[in-house]
Amino acid sequence: MAPTPTPTHCPYCALQCAMGLLPDPGPVPVRVEGRDFPTNRGGLCRKGWTSADLLTHPDRLTAPLLRGPDGTFAEVSWDQAYDTWTAAIRTAQQTYGPDAVGVFGGASLTNEKAYLLGKFTRLALRSSRIDYNGRFCMASAATAGNRSFGIDRGLPFPVADLDAAHTVLLVGSNVADTMPPFVQHLAGARAAGRLVVVDPRRTATADLTDDGQGLHLQPRPGTDLALLLGLAHVVLNEGLADSSYVATRTSGAEDLRRSLATWWPERVEGLTGVPAGLIRDVAVMLAERPRGTYILTGRGVEQHVDGTDTATAAINLALLLGLPGGPDSGYGTLTGQGNGQGAREHGQKADQLPGYRSISSDRDRAAVAAAWGVDPSVIPGPGLPAVALLRSLGRPEGVHCLWVNGANIAVSAPAAAAVEEGLDRLDFLVVSDIFFSETAAHADLVLPTTQWAEEEGTMTNLEGRVLRRRRALTPPAGVRSDLQVMAAMARRLDAPGSFPEDPAEVFEELRRASAGGRADYSGITYAAIEAGEAAYWPWPAGGTPTPRLFTDRFAHPDGRARLVAVAPHPHRHHGEHGPVVLTTGRLLEHYQSGNQTRRVASLAQAAPEPRMEIHPRTAEQYGLPDGGMVRLTSDWGSATARTTLTEAIRPGCVFVPFHYAHQGAVNRVVGDRTDPLSGMPEFKGTPVTLTSLPEETP
Amino acid sequence: MTPRHVPREGDHLVVIGFGPVAWRLVDDLLPEVEAGRLRITVLGDEPSPAYNRVLVGEVATGKHAPADLDLVDVDDWTARGVLLRLGTRAGWIDRAARLVHLEGDQAPVPYDLLVLAVGARANVPRLAGLNPDPEAIGHLPPGISVLRTLDEATRVHQVVADGGRVVVLGGGVLGLEVAAAARDAGCAVTVVHNQPWLLTRSTDSAGGALLGGRCAGRGLVVEAGVRARAVRLGEGRRFRALVLEDGREVLGDVLVLSVGVSPRTRLARGAGLVVNHGIVVNHELEADTEARVFAIGDCAEVWCEEPGCGSCRTRGRRPPSGLVGPGWDQARWLAARLRADLGEDPGPLEPLAESRQDVVRLKAEGIEFVAGGDLAAEPWDGADDGRDSVVWADSARRAYLKVVVEDERVVGFCSIGLPRSGAELAALYGSGEPAPADLAGYLFPGTPECGPGGAAGAASAPEATLCRCAGVSVGAVREAIDAGADDVDRVRRATRAGSGCGGCRSGVEALLAAIAQA
Repeated sequence: MAPTPTPTHCPYCALQCAMGLLPDPGPVPVRVEGRDFPTNRGGLCRKGWTSADLLTHPDRLTAPLLRGPDGTFAEVSWDQAYDTWTAAIRTAQQTYGPDAVGVFGGASLTNEKAYLLGKFTRLALRSSRIDYNGRFCMASAATAGNRSFGIDRGLPFPVADLDAAHTVLLVGSNVADTMPPFVQHLAGARAAGRLVVVDPRRTATADLTDDGQGLHLQPRPGTDLALLLGLAHVVLNEGLADSSYVATRTSGAEDLRRSLATWWPERVEGLTGVPAGLIRDVAVMLAERPRGTYILTGRGVEQHVDGTDTATAAINLALLLGLPGGPDSGYGTLTGQGNGQGAREHGQKADQLPGYRSISSDRDRAAVAAAWGVDPSVIPGPGLPAVALLRSLGRPEGVHCLWVNGANIAVSAPAAAAVEEGLDRLDFLVVSDIFFSETAAHADLVLPTTQWAEEEGTMTNLEGRVLRRRRALTPPAGVRSDLQVMAAMARRLDAPGSFPEDPAEVFEELRRASAGGRADYSGITYAAIEAGEAAYWPWPAGGTPTPRLFTDRFAHPDGRARLVAVAPHPHRHHGEHGPVVLTTGRLLEHYQSGNQTRRVASLAQAAPEPRMEIHPRTAEQYGLPDGGMVRLTSDWGSATARTTLTEAIRPGCVFVPFHYAHQGAVNRVVGDRTDPLSGMPEFKGTPVTLTSLPEETP
Repeated sequence: MTPRHVPREGDHLVVIGFGPVAWRLVDDLLPEVEAGRLRITVLGDEPSPAYNRVLVGEVATGKHAPADLDLVDVDDWTARGVLLRLGTRAGWIDRAARLVHLEGDQAPVPYDLLVLAVGARANVPRLAGLNPDPEAIGHLPPGISVLRTLDEATRVHQVVADGGRVVVLGGGVLGLEVAAAARDAGCAVTVVHNQPWLLTRSTDSAGGALLGGRCAGRGLVVEAGVRARAVRLGEGRRFRALVLEDGREVLGDVLVLSVGVSPRTRLARGAGLVVNHGIVVNHELEADTEARVFAIGDCAEVWCEEPGCGSCRTRGRRPPSGLVGPGWDQARWLAARLRADLGEDPGPLEPLAESRQDVVRLKAEGIEFVAGGDLAAEPWDGADDGRDSVVWADSARRAYLKVVVEDERVVGFCSIGLPRSGAELAALYGSGEPAPADLAGYLFPGTPECGPGGAAGAASAPEATLCRCAGVSVGAVREAIDAGADDVDRVRRATRAGSGCGGCRSGVEALLAAIAQA
C-alpha cells in the first residue's frame, strides 16, 4: 500500500497553503505535493514547492553553539547551554533588575510556541520585555481593527468568499508575489473588470488589472491615506454611502463627515498624483454594487508613521459603503507571516495576554492568572514595542540579556545597523534558529531548533482559521523544540506554573487561557481540526466556529463599529538625504530575512542579490546605469544594490527587497520612526541619496 | 522698541475671521486649550461656524448640500473651552491697549495674541446699475450674486434648481466651475469673459482655444474677449440681463459675479499695520514687531526681508494665492509655533517653507484642466533666456500640454484632457524636484488607466518566465509538451507551471495550441 502523505501546511506565509509530505528516498527526505484546501486549492508557489530542501540542508544547526573567550563558537551540550544561559539571566537580573532580560519572538512560531513564549517571559523570566517581529508587519491594521471593530482578525470572512466578488479594492498589497495562490480568489473580480490595485509600483499584482480586468492607481509613496480620504469624500458627498447601515451599525458619522469635507478629489490629486476623475470613477465603482465588493489592505498601507490611520481610512470607506459584516462583502487586511494572526493573539506582544487580552486590564490579568495558577500580581505590566525594545538593548534601563526566537532582526528590523550595534552591547544574546542567521552571528549562544515538518502544533492563517501543523519526520539528533527549551529553562529558573513539552498539552492550556477572551480558542481541539472542521475563532467551548464576524454586531460593547476621523499629518524630515524615496517589500522567490530561502538553490539562483528598481528618468538624473551598483544612504545608514531600470516604478521613488544580508540589507537604510499608535516602523518611505558605485573588479 | 512677546501659559488668543484657515489653526491648537495653556476666542462675522468654502460653488449648483461643508463640531469645541462668537464683526483694533472693538453695542475683547484670518472678499465689477462699494456687497440687486458664502450659494441654487438661465461674469476657475456644474444641472449657461480666452492666467492662447472648444462641446455659451458694460434690471430691481459693450444683452435669471477676490485689509490698515496687496507679514507670519499680531490665509502677504533666507526661495513678497492649501500650511505652522512657545514640544519647528501650491485644477467633469506657474515662454522665444518649453497638442483627442522649464525645474505647466500627465506634472511642479531632461516622459496621452509603465507583452523567448509562481520558463513548458504532456494538467504535473495562482493557464494553453499546429 502506498504511504499516505502527512497533511500539513506550508512553512512560509499567512496563506498557509495546504500541502502533503510524502516520504522520499532522498536526498530530500520528503516530497511536497499541493493539497486541496479552500485557501490554495492545491496550488503552491515556488517557495512552497522547494520548502523541503531545507530539512537536510548542510547548513542545518544540530548542536548548541557557545561563543568562547576567543570569540569563536564551539558545540556544547544542552545542559551546558542551559546552565550558561541561566547564569547569564541571573547575573543580568541581579545587576539591573528583572526587565534586564528580554525576549524577541516571531510570527512564524506556532500558536503553542508563541503562547508559551509569552508565559515564559512573564513567569519564568519575570520580565515585561517581550515583543516580536509581527510588530513590523501587522501591528497597524491590528490597532486599526481593534479601534474600529473592537476586534482584530485579519480577514473576518473566509478567503473563498472573495471568489464571488465582482469588485475588489486592493491597497498596498502585492499578493501576486507574496502569496501567489491567493490570486485565484481574485478571478471573479478580474473577469468583471473590477479589480482595483493601489500601489506606487506597477507590481505583478497591478499587472493583474491589465486588458480591462481592472484599474491600477499609482499614488506617490506615502499618500494612500489622502487617496482613501478622497474616495470617502466622494462616497459621502455624492450620495453613494449606505446611509441606513451607517445609521444603524456605526457611530461617529458626524465627525467623519466633517473631517472628510476638506478632501475633495482635486485636492487629493495634487497630493497623490492620481487624477481626480479616476478617484471619482473608483468611488462610484465601489459604491454602485456594494454587495459583492471587498476592500483589502496590506503592508503598503501599514508600514508608515500613519499606518494605523491609513488602515482606519480604508475601514471608514468600507463602513460608509456598508461592506463589513455583509454576507458577500467586507473589509480585511492580508496578514503576512505564517502565523502572523495567531502569534499576535496569545501574549507575544508587549501589551497582551492570551486570548487577545490586555495586559493592562485587571479583569484580563485575573482571568489569565487563574488559568496559569498564579496570583495576578506575579504578571508584569506592559513592556516595550519592538523598535523601542531594540533601541534599549545594552542601555541603562534596557535589556542586557536577550533571547531571539524566530526572528532575524539583524536583517529584518529597521535601522538594522543600529540593531546590530545594540546586539553587540548586550551582556548575553541567545538566538534560536534552524540556520546560523545574521543575528546568530552576534550571539553568545545559538540553539538549534526544529523545522515545520518535524513538529506538531497549530497555526492560525490569514482568515483566523486554526490549522494543524503535522510532523512528518523525526528532527535531527541534537535539535530541541522551543517547547523543550522553555520547559528545561523554566525548571532551572524555578518558574511558577506549568511548561509542558508536548504541543497538545500546551494547546489545551492555551484553550483554557483564551476562554472568554476576544480570540477565544476554547472550543478548538486538535481532533476537530483533524476531522476537517473549519476552526475559525472565536470558537468558545460548547459553541461553534465563527467563519464570518460582524454579521449581526461589531465587538464594541454597543455592537457598533466606530467611524474614526483621521487625517495625514505633515511628515517632518530633518535629514540631509533625499529627495528620492525608498520603499521596501518582498520578492516572490524569498521569504522574510531570506535566512531560509537564500539557502534554497533554485530560489537563490532566481534572485541572488538585491536589485533596486528605479525609473529610467530618475536613473538618468542620478547617473545610474542599468545593472550598475548603487549605494543608498539615509540618515540611518547605507546599503548597496544593483539597479534595474523599469518604468514600473514612479519617478523619484526606488524599491529594494529586504531579504538580503550585510551590505545588501536595505533595512540598514530604513529608519526607526514608528506609528505612535501601533509602534509599527515606517518601512515604506525613507528619503535616500543615491550614489553610483564603481563595478567591483573581480 | 517694544520687546517681542513670547506666548506664555494663560495667554488669550483672539482669532478674527472664521473660515477654513481659522478652523485649521484652532483645530491644531485644541490640545493647548484643553490643557488650559491657551484661551481662544474666535470672532466670526457669518452666523455659521467655519465651513469648507472651497466647495461653495458646488452648493450653488446643487452638487453638495450645505451640511457637506461643515468643518466644526461646535459642541465639542465649546466643551473643550474655545469661545466661539458667531455673527460678531470686529470694528477696529487698538493695538496699544490690546483690544478688539466690536461693531454694535458690545464690550471690546482683550487679547494677548491676535490672528487675523479675515480672508478675502469677492470683487464687484464696475457695471452701470451696480454699486461698486465692496462693503455694500450684501445689497446687490435680487438675482445678482457673488459666490463667497453659503448664503450666496443657497440663493444661486434656488435659480439653478428651477432650471433657470445662468449668466456668469468672469471665466476664471470659480466662474467656469459654477458654469459647468450649472450646465450639468440642466441650466442654460453663458459665460462672459473680458479676456480673449478662459482661465487667462493659467493657460496660453492655444490652450485657451481648446478650453473654449471643450466648454462649447458641453453646451456652455462662452462670450470671450468682450467686456460687460451694465446690468439691466426689471421689476423689483430684479436682474434681467447683462449688457455687453457691443450692445448685445445676455438674458438670464441669475448673474453670478466671479471677477476675483481681494484680501480684506480694513482692520489691519486701521490698526496701523503694513498693508500692501494683503496684510504684510514676515515669513514667521508676524504682522507687527511685537510678535503679537499675525495674519494667515487669503488676507496675508508674506514678505521676506532676509536676503538669502533659507525657507523663501525668492526674496520678496508672496501675495495671497487665493487657494486654501497655502493658508492651511500657514495655519498649521503657526499652531506648531505657538505650541512650541507654550512648552508643548511638537518636535523641532522647521521654517515655514515656501511651497508652490498655485496649481489650478478645474473641478468640472470632462474638461480635465490642470495648470500651475508661469506659462509665458514659447518654444522659439530664444535660447538665451534660460527657459525652455515643451508643447504637445493633439486635435484628434482634443488634448494639450505645455511645460516650461527653467534651471532644470518646472516653472509652469498646463494640461488639458490629459489627466494622468496633469497629475504627474502637478506633483513634479509642487515638489520643486528637478525635471527630467526628456519631458516627453510626462506624456501619457492614453486613458487614465495607462500607467507610467504598462506591463510587458507576453514574451515568448525560451528563457522568459511563463509561470511566475513556480518559476517555470517558456522553454521548460515546451520541453514538457515535447515530452508528451498534451494538456494543461499534464504540463502542470510535469513542470509545476500553473500550480500556484493558475494565472498562466492561458499561456500554457496557447503554447499547447501553437505546438499542436506546428
